[in-house]
Amino acid sequence: MSSAITGRAERAIKTGRAGRAGRGVSPWGIAGGVLKYGILIFGAFTIILPFIDMFLGAVKTIPEMRAEPPVWISRDPQWGVFLEVMHLLPMARLYTNSFLVSISVTFLVLFTSALAGFVLAKYRFPGRDLIFGFILATMMFPVFLFLIPNYYILRHIPFVGGNDITGWGGTGLMHSRLSLILPFMVSAWGIFMLRQFAVGLPDELLDSARIDGASEFRIFWQMILPQLKPALATLAVFQFMGIWNEYLWAMTITTSAPEMMTVPVGIWLLRDSLDPMRNLALIRAATAVAVVPIMILFVSLQKYYVKGIVMTGIKG
Amino acid sequence: MQEGKRVKKYRMSRQRTILAYLFLSPVLLFFLVFFLIPIVFSLYISFARWDMLTPLSQAPLVGLKNYQYILFKDDLFLLTLKNTLVFALGTVVLNVVLSLFLAFLFTRSRFKALWRTIYWLPMVTTVSAVATMWQYIFKARGLINALLADVNISGPIWLADPRTAMPAVILVSVWAGLGGAMLIFSAGLEGIPDSYYEAARVDGANVRQEFWHITIPLLRPTILFNLVTGFIGGLSSFTLIMVMTQGGPLNTTNVVANYMYQVAFSDMRMGRASAMAFALFGVILLVTLIQLRVFRRGGIESY
Repeated sequence: MSSAITGRAERAIKTGRAGRAGRGVSPWGIAGGVLKYGILIFGAFTIILPFIDMFLGAVKTIPEMRAEPPVWISRDPQWGVFLEVMHLLPMARLYTNSFLVSISVTFLVLFTSALAGFVLAKYRFPGRDLIFGFILATMMFPVFLFLIPNYYILRHIPFVGGNDITGWGGTGLMHSRLSLILPFMVSAWGIFMLRQFAVGLPDELLDSARIDGASEFRIFWQMILPQLKPALATLAVFQFMGIWNEYLWAMTITTSAPEMMTVPVGIWLLRDSLDPMRNLALIRAATAVAVVPIMILFVSLQKYYVKGIVMTGIKG
Repeated sequence: MQEGKRVKKYRMSRQRTILAYLFLSPVLLFFLVFFLIPIVFSLYISFARWDMLTPLSQAPLVGLKNYQYILFKDDLFLLTLKNTLVFALGTVVLNVVLSLFLAFLFTRSRFKALWRTIYWLPMVTTVSAVATMWQYIFKARGLINALLADVNISGPIWLADPRTAMPAVILVSVWAGLGGAMLIFSAGLEGIPDSYYEAARVDGANVRQEFWHITIPLLRPTILFNLVTGFIGGLSSFTLIMVMTQGGPLNTTNVVANYMYQVAFSDMRMGRASAMAFALFGVILLVTLIQLRVFRRGGIESY
């Protein structure tokens, strides 16, 4: 930010146009400016409206839901609906499950991506480009190509969950949270991103540490990791969000193991449980309860990961 | 002396190679277990008839029958394939156009953090929550029809009407993906040096000319990135439709991923489902290669 400002100032001084060098001032005109903000505000309104609808819908009374013409803002908001949701859905457990899985996956992905990204960026060895190409290519395969085999593999891992040496007889990892974590512990996207970032780190950094006799892992851990921080922050957020919202695999696994159910699967299951009219409010309340905490978390962290995106330059 | 140095250098590079593979071993092991084995596994069962309950070794091999069936006999598969393409195309085109336009405006505005926060909100919302929210909005007496009623239009029951269900689902998908694409576009836009625009302004260019002659050409790699990743995501999209319509009404929103899930886990026809997965992969690969080809012809060599 500060460099952008000094850059602009410098240019303004050079071109002798101090005062009106700000981008977006000159070519728009008043009508253009009004149109620009009008469009942005309209778009923002479209984005927010469904969320507002969700809140207003959650606290309406049953007569208000049926009223004609429709009532938007309840005269008698039923705040109790949020408590009711907490009773109906094991929200605490859903949140615990989602957090455990998401945090484990995020840390594993950060570690594996940083290590692999570092090696692929800074080491020269036979097979490097092949491995990098292979990792990029894996991104093209649709996830559900792995649904059936991964289910089968995790179910038939030998020696766990009552399985014998051949992998039969028990349920494998089907009732362990590992089944929700392991298939996501490496991210091709994450490796790609951190590799692009690590390429830009100066080689002198590594050389001087090597002369001092530091081991390669220590170089990675104490010198490279701190340098990767902005990129790691960005990756952490994307990864956390991705796994938090992951639905397909979680549903496949937790239909037979409801004790491990995550938030997205939980909300979806609520819909079949109660009388339809009451449900209308409850599902919206549940959705709100599921969405809001995580939303606050991400909005408050925004400053960190946006910087990482700009710095990494995911420009393609 | 010289010889000794070379030996030392050789030893170091060999050491480094071993170390590199050691560091990469967790990642390579992962891709072996959760990528290569599953691919081979899927390929094998796509040639077999298997219900997942019997051991795989007892599953009879049927050759290309699964592929023959889905490509020539299963009308529903072809319909879902068509739906998938329509869904992905609609979502990606609208998403890229809108997000590029909005990102262009937003990088030239005040209150950037505010716009970013708002447009980013759907991205941090669980897809199944997004689907649930919109389900109510599209109901007979939901928000959209209430707004339409204000201007005396009687709206359809969007998700139950075969004519409107697909556009409705596409709309939600665009709504949900806008923020992410905007974020990536804005990173690309920040990367275009101000001096280019300033030079254009000195020559008397207006905003529209700046957009078409500077922004678009320089943003091609970012556009390609958003297109490619958008199509990969759109073609294998699943959750949104599963929650909003479950493929209905009359299969008008049924997509391959959804149908495949049903064939695999309700009908227990793993072979057929795997064949579908590979067919879809073929489509994704084709669509990706076409995009890379088109952009390369346009002068992008970096891909």
